[in-house]
Amino acid sequence: METENKNQIKSYLTFKLGNEEFAAHVSKVLNILEMTPITKVPKAPDYLKGVINLRGAVLPVIDTRIKFGMPEAEYTNNTCIIVLDIDVDGESVHVGAIVDSVQAVLEIDNSQIMPLPTLGSRYKSEFIIGMAKVEERFIIILNMDAIFSVDEITSIVDSNQTVAEGSETQQ
Amino acid sequence: MAKTILIVDDSDSIREVVRFTLENEGYNVLVGVDGKDALKHLNGQAIDLVITDLHMPEMDGIELIKHIRAMSDYERVPILFLTTESQTSKKMEAKDAGATGWIIKPFVPAKLIAAINKVIR
Amino acid sequence: MDNFKKKFIEEAAELIDKLEVALLELEKKPNDEALIQQVFRVMHTLKGNSAMFGFELIDSFTHNLKSIYDKIRNGQLEVSKDILNITFSSVDHLKAMLDEQNYDDPDFKTIHSGLMGKINKIINPDIVEKESNNTEKAQDMSGSFSTFYILFEPNEKIFSNGTNPLYLLDELCSLGEHKVYAHFNRLPGIKDINPNLCYTYWEVLLVTDKDVNAIHDVFIFVETDSKLEIQKLAEENLLADKEFVDEVSHLADIQKDVGLVTIQRLAAKSVARINKAKAREFTKERIATKDKTAASIRVSSDKLDHLMNLVSELVTTQARLSLFAEQNNVPGLAPIVENVHKLTRQLRDIAFSIVLIPIENLFGRFQRLIRDLSAELHKEVDFIIEGADTELDKTIIENLSDPLMHIIRNSMDHGIEESRIRIANGKPAKGKIHLKAFYSGANVIIQVSDDGAGIDPEIIHAKAISKGLVPSDKKMSKKEILDLIFLPGFSTAKKVTDVSGRGVGMDVVKKKISDIRGEVEVESEVGLGTTITIKLPLTLSIIDGLLVSIDSSPFVIPLSSIDKIYAVDKESIYNTFNNLVTLDGTQIPFFSLRKEFNLQPSNEELEQVVVVNFEDNRVGLVVDYVIGEYQAVLKPLGKHYKSHDIFSGATILGDGTVALVMDTNKIIKMFATSK
Repeated sequence: METENKNQIKSYLTFKLGNEEFAAHVSKVLNILEMTPITKVPKAPDYLKGVINLRGAVLPVIDTRIKFGMPEAEYTNNTCIIVLDIDVDGESVHVGAIVDSVQAVLEIDNSQIMPLPTLGSRYKSEFIIGMAKVEERFIIILNMDAIFSVDEITSIVDSNQTVAEGSETQQ
Repeated sequence: MAKTILIVDDSDSIREVVRFTLENEGYNVLVGVDGKDALKHLNGQAIDLVITDLHMPEMDGIELIKHIRAMSDYERVPILFLTTESQTSKKMEAKDAGATGWIIKPFVPAKLIAAINKVIR
Repeated sequence: MDNFKKKFIEEAAELIDKLEVALLELEKKPNDEALIQQVFRVMHTLKGNSAMFGFELIDSFTHNLKSIYDKIRNGQLEVSKDILNITFSSVDHLKAMLDEQNYDDPDFKTIHSGLMGKINKIINPDIVEKESNNTEKAQDMSGSFSTFYILFEPNEKIFSNGTNPLYLLDELCSLGEHKVYAHFNRLPGIKDINPNLCYTYWEVLLVTDKDVNAIHDVFIFVETDSKLEIQKLAEENLLADKEFVDEVSHLADIQKDVGLVTIQRLAAKSVARINKAKAREFTKERIATKDKTAASIRVSSDKLDHLMNLVSELVTTQARLSLFAEQNNVPGLAPIVENVHKLTRQLRDIAFSIVLIPIENLFGRFQRLIRDLSAELHKEVDFIIEGADTELDKTIIENLSDPLMHIIRNSMDHGIEESRIRIANGKPAKGKIHLKAFYSGANVIIQVSDDGAGIDPEIIHAKAISKGLVPSDKKMSKKEILDLIFLPGFSTAKKVTDVSGRGVGMDVVKKKISDIRGEVEVESEVGLGTTITIKLPLTLSIIDGLLVSIDSSPFVIPLSSIDKIYAVDKESIYNTFNNLVTLDGTQIPFFSLRKEFNLQPSNEELEQVVVVNFEDNRVGLVVDYVIGEYQAVLKPLGKHYKSHDIFSGATILGDGTVALVMDTNKIIKMFATSK
């Protein structure tokens, strides 16, 4: 019932990691924050960047690049934290995702969303809802729940496929 | 050794009551009738406490307090001033000038001693 | 000498005349308030002057006479013919008193004592008493002592106006039994010390029968420019409670200052202890009244959560405001900011205290349950409660009631054997059920253990197989088997739910505990007993912590685990073999948190070692420096850090930064195993 409602909203927030453009359904996005100093949690996995103070609550922050198996990049003025509301086993969990830049909110009709090609895709299908072509760009629509749920620390990139990184990525 | 207290007040009766009370308590007492007169005692001799009225003809209490604080021999000596309940602004003025505390008039000997005990032993 | 006495007598005679005139007027208009005021004022002046000039007899006499008119002024007495007659006689007597030669006259003496008696009778018709001041009387009657907390932080320039703060402390201490904690942490390095400044400040616990005004009087000269906090902690003598004194002394020893909030918390616990001791005999009545007080407030936890978040935000915003005020010198802003700061702190403290209540209320109920069950089941048990002062979120406590009730019922029903069986098995006839609550990092643990028959894993296993809950060929550890009791469908009990929880299986207990995000575990030895452990992770809990800095990041170490703090120069640490450091003559193992957390080595010469208790040993944790005591509102790190439990949570500092709260046990365990 609720999911139906959510599906009726066709808005997606798009963001960039390197040259790739991704989209998350707006129902998953609570807030977009500018980059702020993060309190590191010693001894935690790399992709868990630490925690920040979000209006009096402690919010864990994940570096999406590391999580996605991409090389880490320095933070710039465009770097943002997207505050996500993730469903973990029926429980709502808040987490911040660091992305290179936030692009836009786009309307994408379900009919525009194409399934990923089963062969030759470098992404694992369980993390991807599909792809959409908007103004000649391909946008990968992510399954945020699957990617950011707690137990999932694997990269979304299929290790059998090579990762082609854009030139703007810093090693 | 007995402590020495300097009392400065232009009113004979107050000066006498305070002196009487303090001498009964075993203090050495020096007196001055106003600020200017009190200065003659501030010649380097040991003074453990100064009690002064605020309103006095020649050099008032505030002036005297400032004067004492400027003298290296007496910059740390406790100074109590006599005031009435209504003079709140004066109280702050005297404190700012460097006074240690105050005694509210009229006072009973016990009050006087209690106030003195707060600043010297 | 005689000169000023003469002056006084002249003046006094004038005053007495004035008094007489006013009294004659009053006789005509007994309800005229202005006249009553006038009479009172004249008496007041007469009393003041007489005391000043050594006329003690007039002083004491006028004091009592004045008290009558004080009572009339306050509406406690009415002007009566009797009173006026006595006053007129008193006026005549006062005139006689001006001549000291009369004092030895027997007639004078008779009149004097006669009048004193009559006056006292009016002031106090029941008891003949000298003092008539209301507050003093109230205190005399109760004869009770209260405990006060006093923080005296002198303005650092206090010496310059001739004040010696030690005299004030002496005077304060003369008011009653006391404990003084001097704090030197504001003292700068030796080369920066300015001998003209006062760096020391004090915290004092004072037990006295005087009221708060008497304490304020001590500091009357310095109140305006020094920091002074005076707070009544309890109407009891808390210094008589050794545990309280030890706790406070311990805190004062290891940290910069104890702080009012912490003291108040400790005091509340102490009062609870004292009351408990007093009222052990009246448990039953107590439980009834307690339930009533607990029931007097009901607020949805959503609202409280919301409140807490708003308060946290307010604290952060307030810190920003203070910073802004400091950087921008706007006239008049500073006192406003100071006030906002004070109010915010009070608001925060109250908000915190609203959501946390001691588990005592809940535990108290079980005492009753045990008593009833003992009678019902003909089993005798000692019921021991420990840690009833452990504080928990109110909603958690409410939701704990049913599951705990069930667990205790189980212990009584199935755990504790009948006394003849116990005796046959060589156990004491009386069984024992131990209910215990304690903090463990960010968790509160509640344990119910009994010394009963225990759970036989073989029986459980067989039953589970017969019910088809586990395949018969599956190999299972003892723990796995015991955990079967939490499976739905395991319990044979019929579903007859009643308040005591009878008929509800352990699966329901487990569900209810996990509803409040807790975990439940069972341990049991056949013949020895069973222990059920409930672990409750707190979304909201306050811990007293020590704020430390490591590589410019703040961390919080729970005070409960801290033994002592030392400053050590770096050489002596890193040159030591085997990671041992010698402190106070004993060698203790240490870990450098910088190193263990993979941070850059420090280039400061001095570091501080926080010695914490670990199991039965003491272990040093090296930090850059200790910032001070901090009361941390523990916030969970979130599911993503679930497996990363060396930090029990995080807390948000006043300036909005996040500080991680260490679980020292887990941290040391991790360091030790990675060696």
